[in-house]
Amino acid sequence: MSPQGATGEATTDWTLMVRIGQKDEEALSALYDRYSGLVFSEAKRILRDAGAAEEILQDLFYQIWRTSQRFDPARGSLAGWLLVAARNRAISKLRRNNTVSEELDEKGVTLGFDVESHAAQNLVLDKVRAVMGSLPENQREALECAYFEGMSHTEIAEKTGQPLGTVKTRIRSAMEALKKVLR
Amino acid sequence: MSNGEHIRVAELELFALGALPEAEAAALQAHVSGCGECAMKLAEARGHAALLAFAAKQDRPAGTIKAELMARIRANREAEERYAWPAKTEERGGGQARRKPEAKSSLLTWVLVPAAVVLTLVSFLLSWQNRRIAAELDREHKEAEALIHDREEIEKLVGVLAAPDTVTVKLARMGDAANANGVVKFNAKAGVVLYAADLPKLPPDKSYQMWLVPESGAPISAGLLGPGGHAWGRMWTGEVPANTQAKAFAVTIEPVGGMAQPTGPKILLGAT
Repeated sequence: MSPQGATGEATTDWTLMVRIGQKDEEALSALYDRYSGLVFSEAKRILRDAGAAEEILQDLFYQIWRTSQRFDPARGSLAGWLLVAARNRAISKLRRNNTVSEELDEKGVTLGFDVESHAAQNLVLDKVRAVMGSLPENQREALECAYFEGMSHTEIAEKTGQPLGTVKTRIRSAMEALKKVLR
Repeated sequence: MSNGEHIRVAELELFALGALPEAEAAALQAHVSGCGECAMKLAEARGHAALLAFAAKQDRPAGTIKAELMARIRANREAEERYAWPAKTEERGGGQARRKPEAKSSLLTWVLVPAAVVLTLVSFLLSWQNRRIAAELDREHKEAEALIHDREEIEKLVGVLAAPDTVTVKLARMGDAANANGVVKFNAKAGVVLYAADLPKLPPDKSYQMWLVPESGAPISAGLLGPGGHAWGRMWTGEVPANTQAKAFAVTIEPVGGMAQPTGPKILLGAT
């Protein structure tokens, strides 16, 4: 057990993953407490179904328990992997296509910001909300259609009746604004 | 797509957002799998896209989910440990003393462990079914509530249409709106306005808005004929303060979502 204790927020994700690799249940419990809210909220926003979101949440953490040894911190952030994997699984479920199942060593995600404590997560939440609130409606809509509804830019162009180039520009401008959160 | 040999960051971000059509996504994926620099930039783009997860309304999963997860990993762990037992026994003992534990471990391995695994699977299947049934019941309950609400609304509207004090106002076109026409049923006592209209299609950022023009004072919005409006089949409904005396009804073109006061051109007008 680390000096910070089983559930201390000062314990890094990597330390927890090492302990999970040694089959330390308290470490998995601490990791779950750290990220379950974010992962669940993201999946629920996509699926609009708490039960289905909880299923994804539990499966992801069970996968972490079984395959934690494959996690390589050099390939990116665990929190990033969790958010990307939860999003992909939820979109896959939304489209009734159950083929997506990322392994821990498959996709690298570089978050570029700290979310290893609830205080840090709250800081990012506030910043993202402020940016999203400041975006023009059409930019926010384009971004949300892609990320939360799994629509391609051509589908968004059809839905909004706007030219493809306009949709791409809106997404690009919105992403530029969103990245300010990192500065 | 690519800038020289590498893929542009904007394209990588579209891919990370899931906004590229399948063919383009496959081509990008093929390039990234053989290009370390683009793979690194894609990892960053995924991180940028993941920021959107923070835009979702934050909520907590049910407490039972964690308990189920921990039970699931314990079952998995126990099954793994039981399978590993014969090897440990062999390391510890030898000769005659090994015979009984071997027989015991063999029984555990071939009978009890599979039984435990089956029981665990059945237990999770039942738990999963439980949650599904609970979710279905909840959904059906909500649907029933929605149906009751719809029935009450319809009864209210039928009541207004049948009421002797409900007046009918025909709306005539104004300006260039060829073939535009409409009709309003208004019950001042209930403050309910029902209307239907044939109107030309508007651009996506515009909407038709119905106005009650009172005997005195400023026009009062009676709802939208489009997104944000309240429709029953081809009929739209709106509510105004009860006992408002109407002089006329008018339809104007306004920005989507409607305005507090009319700002756009009048398309239909009819006096009571």
